[in-house]
Amino acid sequence: MLAEALAHADSLFRLAYHFTGTEADAEDLVQDTFARAFGAASQFTVGTNLRAWLFRILRNAYIDSYRRELVNPVRGGLDDEAPPDASPPARELLRDDEELERLRSVVAEDIEAALMTLTVDARTVVLLDLEGLTETEISTVLGCAVGTVKSRLTRARALLRERLRDYAR
Amino acid sequence: MDCNEASAKLLDRRRNKLDARVAAELDAHLETCEACRAEDAKDAALTAALDKLPRRRASAALKRSLETRWVARPRLARTGGMLAAAGVGAALAAAAFFLFFGWHGRGSSDAIFAEAVNDHLRVLYAEHPVEVQSGGVHQVKPWFAGRLDFAPVLAFGGDDEFPLQGGAVAYFLDRKAAAFEFKRRLHAITLFVFRADGLSWPTPSRSIGGQRASIETQRGFHVLLWRRDDLGYALVSDVDERELLTLGAKIAGESHE
Repeated sequence: MLAEALAHADSLFRLAYHFTGTEADAEDLVQDTFARAFGAASQFTVGTNLRAWLFRILRNAYIDSYRRELVNPVRGGLDDEAPPDASPPARELLRDDEELERLRSVVAEDIEAALMTLTVDARTVVLLDLEGLTETEISTVLGCAVGTVKSRLTRARALLRERLRDYAR
Repeated sequence: MDCNEASAKLLDRRRNKLDARVAAELDAHLETCEACRAEDAKDAALTAALDKLPRRRASAALKRSLETRWVARPRLARTGGMLAAAGVGAALAAAAFFLFFGWHGRGSSDAIFAEAVNDHLRVLYAEHPVEVQSGGVHQVKPWFAGRLDFAPVLAFGGDDEFPLQGGAVAYFLDRKAAAFEFKRRLHAITLFVFRADGLSWPTPSRSIGGQRASIETQRGFHVLLWRRDDLGYALVSDVDERELLTLGAKIAGESHE
């Protein structure tokens, strides 16, 4: 089972990178994901969706580690870093054509920065959709009903567009 | 169809995932609704923007590490059902792994020695083997707070013979561990402190610092193992065996007095 899991290492790493923001931390998170998957292998039902199961473990591992970071006095904490769902600064209203132009001018690092301002679940739904996961798979990862995935995705994409206005050059 | 319904279907429309009837209704709405057309154009621009994200890949080193650490593992190899599920590829990987490391026919308590050597090598090969530089054990130990789900007990903070270099979070078998790096001349010595539960421990063969311990040599590395309460200790190095036992006695003695 974990041999098959290796086939998903790249996509797990990509989501981990967009959670943590650094390659080193992303590698640690993927290692942690495999450690948890190894420990919980007996709970995985062969024939069910391995990819969604792994992404769910990764998301939960990140949330656990993020919660630990918040109470860790040595490295960061509430005073040092804003949580990922911090509200963006107020912005001016843009005309549709201006917003379209700004969206077209963003570069990869703008998008990565804007993604980091979304909540974990908003980031997850956008990125897993980008990875090609189905709504059923995403619902498994997020632990929500299939029917709510589409509305969450629509909201998260709208929010990302809004945040990207701040990063467009 | 109103704007809310239309908005939720725009992405599926661009991906051709709508059935013909709904697609026709949405097209009709878009014909008459400038706001939704603008919304559609902006969302399409977002899709184009997201396509600019680099398709990062896990490094070869990470994949190798995942394979050796979690796929080609003795516990999997001995568990028939799991091996069957892992498939032929994993069986071949596991076989190559066991042949390379010479684990054939050995018990699970031997695996703990072999894995201690592997984990020592991983620490040495890591880009940053020491994540916190040592200013003494009272600087290194607090650094682990919040990084592990246990507090590593270590009183010995190094001396002239065995200076403490620093610490890092590492893995020991299937669990996170505190890795402390000591030096003896040019030799690196790694002390792993980890949760001892659920492991198959070898029968102790000697006493160091008042603790019952086991020592074994694998691939030129000496591994000294002992446990105290719910923590396990593994001291690994290619330093002379007597010197490793000396350091072990200092750690076990001072840490468990």
